[in-house]
Amino acid sequence: MSSVAVGEPAERAPGRKRRGGREVFLPFLLLLPAVGLMLALYAYPFISSIYRSFLVKGQGALTLSNYVKVSELYLRDIFFSLEIAFLSTAVAAVLSILMATYLRLGSGRVVRLIGSVYRLPIFIPFVVVAQMMTTFLAPHGLLNVSLAQIGLVNLDTPPDLLNWKGLTFAFVWKQWAFMTLIVLSGFEMIDNTYIEAARSFGAKLHQVILRILVPMSRASLSVALILAFTSTVGTFTLPYMLIGGKTPTTLTVDIAHRVTYFGDYGVANALGTIAYILVVFTAVYYLRYTVRREVYEQ
Amino acid sequence: MRIKSLTMLLLVVVTIMSLVVACGPTAEPSVVKETVVVQVTTEPEPEEISLVYITAGDVNMLALGQNVLAPEFQEMYPNVTTAVVHTGPGDAGSRTIFEKLLADKQAGKARGDVDVAMVHQKFMAWAMEEDLLMPYAEELDTWQYMSAGDVNNALGTNIQGYGMPMFHSQTALAYNPDCVAEPPQSYEELVSWVEANPGKFGYNGIKGGMAGVSFVVGWVYWKTDQYEKLAVSGPVDEADVATWEQAYKDLAEFNKNVVITAGNVGTLDALNRGEICMGPVWVDMFYTFMAEGKLAPETRLTLPAPGMPGQPMYFVIPKNAPHPDMAKEWVEYVTSPEVQGPVIIDRYNWYPGIDGQYVKDVTPPEAFDRLYKDITPEIMNQYGRSFPIVEYFDAMLEAYEQWTSGE
Repeated sequence: MSSVAVGEPAERAPGRKRRGGREVFLPFLLLLPAVGLMLALYAYPFISSIYRSFLVKGQGALTLSNYVKVSELYLRDIFFSLEIAFLSTAVAAVLSILMATYLRLGSGRVVRLIGSVYRLPIFIPFVVVAQMMTTFLAPHGLLNVSLAQIGLVNLDTPPDLLNWKGLTFAFVWKQWAFMTLIVLSGFEMIDNTYIEAARSFGAKLHQVILRILVPMSRASLSVALILAFTSTVGTFTLPYMLIGGKTPTTLTVDIAHRVTYFGDYGVANALGTIAYILVVFTAVYYLRYTVRREVYEQ
Repeated sequence: MRIKSLTMLLLVVVTIMSLVVACGPTAEPSVVKETVVVQVTTEPEPEEISLVYITAGDVNMLALGQNVLAPEFQEMYPNVTTAVVHTGPGDAGSRTIFEKLLADKQAGKARGDVDVAMVHQKFMAWAMEEDLLMPYAEELDTWQYMSAGDVNNALGTNIQGYGMPMFHSQTALAYNPDCVAEPPQSYEELVSWVEANPGKFGYNGIKGGMAGVSFVVGWVYWKTDQYEKLAVSGPVDEADVATWEQAYKDLAEFNKNVVITAGNVGTLDALNRGEICMGPVWVDMFYTFMAEGKLAPETRLTLPAPGMPGQPMYFVIPKNAPHPDMAKEWVEYVTSPEVQGPVIIDRYNWYPGIDGQYVKDVTPPEAFDRLYKDITPEIMNQYGRSFPIVEYFDAMLEAYEQWTSGE
């Protein structure tokens, strides 16, 4: 998308100059509804939530006290959210690369069947995943009871999975299919000749993955990573239903807690702003390294 | 299915209509005058009214409104159709209603869309401060049945005449008699039981639902021994908060031998799966789960000293309600003994909103006995507490984050 947007004006610029007059404004006029909508529904609430994170109810002046409260009470939760997001995105990325490789290189009926079934989690909403996981991962849930049947788990002292482990598992389960979809589309664009050439020089499977498939589809891989990471940071229902009452918990649960029990939008907005910052780092990386490479270096 | 989609359609139509009414030119005073003139000069023909009833709470509140109250009310008043709107569980649901009414006020809407709302206690403090409500309750016939303290006082806010409880809900400890031979009669006994049985008591913290919040509040009542001041009389003294530090650190110590469950429902599920032997629950959810076969029938309840909080949910009528008279009829109907007994007690397992003595005769005896079997009216009177005054309540929740989960 970006390469088209940048490429076209460069070619058409002389033609437009000649037309001149009113038509100069036409593109802006056509853009107005979309951009206006973006400004009203996205930019305005975004900026206002940052602004309000510096306000305290009943006081006019800007203050940092919301951030002070965040650092007193929620620092651990911020790091916890970040750890969960990194860990589950990383695990899901590895799994999705393996899955996409299997679907890209394999052939036959089984591969086609798996290729159509693996997408299922994409269509299951987080709240349903959460409901599923609470009964699946509970101390006497389906997983532990099944493992107890084959003697791997003692149900009197079952392993506790309703914590970072279960949360990571649930996020990986949900994000993995979505990431595979994007990564696979990148893999599909790689010409077979590269893979065949590598193989004929004796490349093993892991070398094909690490030297051919992954480097050649870096763009789609980073899109998958960023989308999965940002949605993990922003998800509320899953952590709320799995580990809502526990310590540590995620930023999103804390935001809901501040609003629900205290009507405290100041601290909630401060937490939200911190979530933006966490996500902005990855977005900046994406823009600087990936888009630039795609647009200018090809 | 068809009824459901019809109701949806109705809801959409009502919403659109109310939007049209709300956004249209506002000539309210003349409309009101006209109505008065018509009533004086001619025989009043029943005007078609669509009453908007908006409710917070769990999804059972929506079911109650849609499937029971609205159709029965329409039988009494055929010209009234009731649209039931549901905003979601817990204080968050009430918050949504509050924000809707506040937005109406800020936009200067003299005639709003909401006729009657069902809200939690915290809402009352917010709404009274912003002056959003109509004083209506003392005019109703059923006002005489109101006896509980929280009719006049919601978390330290004087609300006399502004709200009528539809029901009272109470928290208590549910336990499995197979592994709890002698249920603890006090928080003190509970602490020693948990020490002897680590990992067998579970609650849902303070961010996973109100049953856990209620357990923590009860803990503070026990440790401070200041229930009267914290929940009833006040006055609020910020210096008190610092004196709670040890109470919360003890709770952190207690938590080491405790399972934190996944929400109000999570505690009941964990009990049912045999993961825990005991945990705080809402009494109505407890009996509803049992009636649906989701909880072992031998599970019992106990209310330990010095008590745990419960709360009513109130009917309120916004100041800008479009049909205040019909809204009053609605509230009067639901707070009548005829609805309180068979519906509130028998079908929904709540404690009645009105004084129990007026309901006893119209309630099926087995329903009455079921509700009061483990927690007798005497125990309820003694140990059924209120949630604290808003300022103390907020401080208690934050103190948990500071001293208990921070440990």
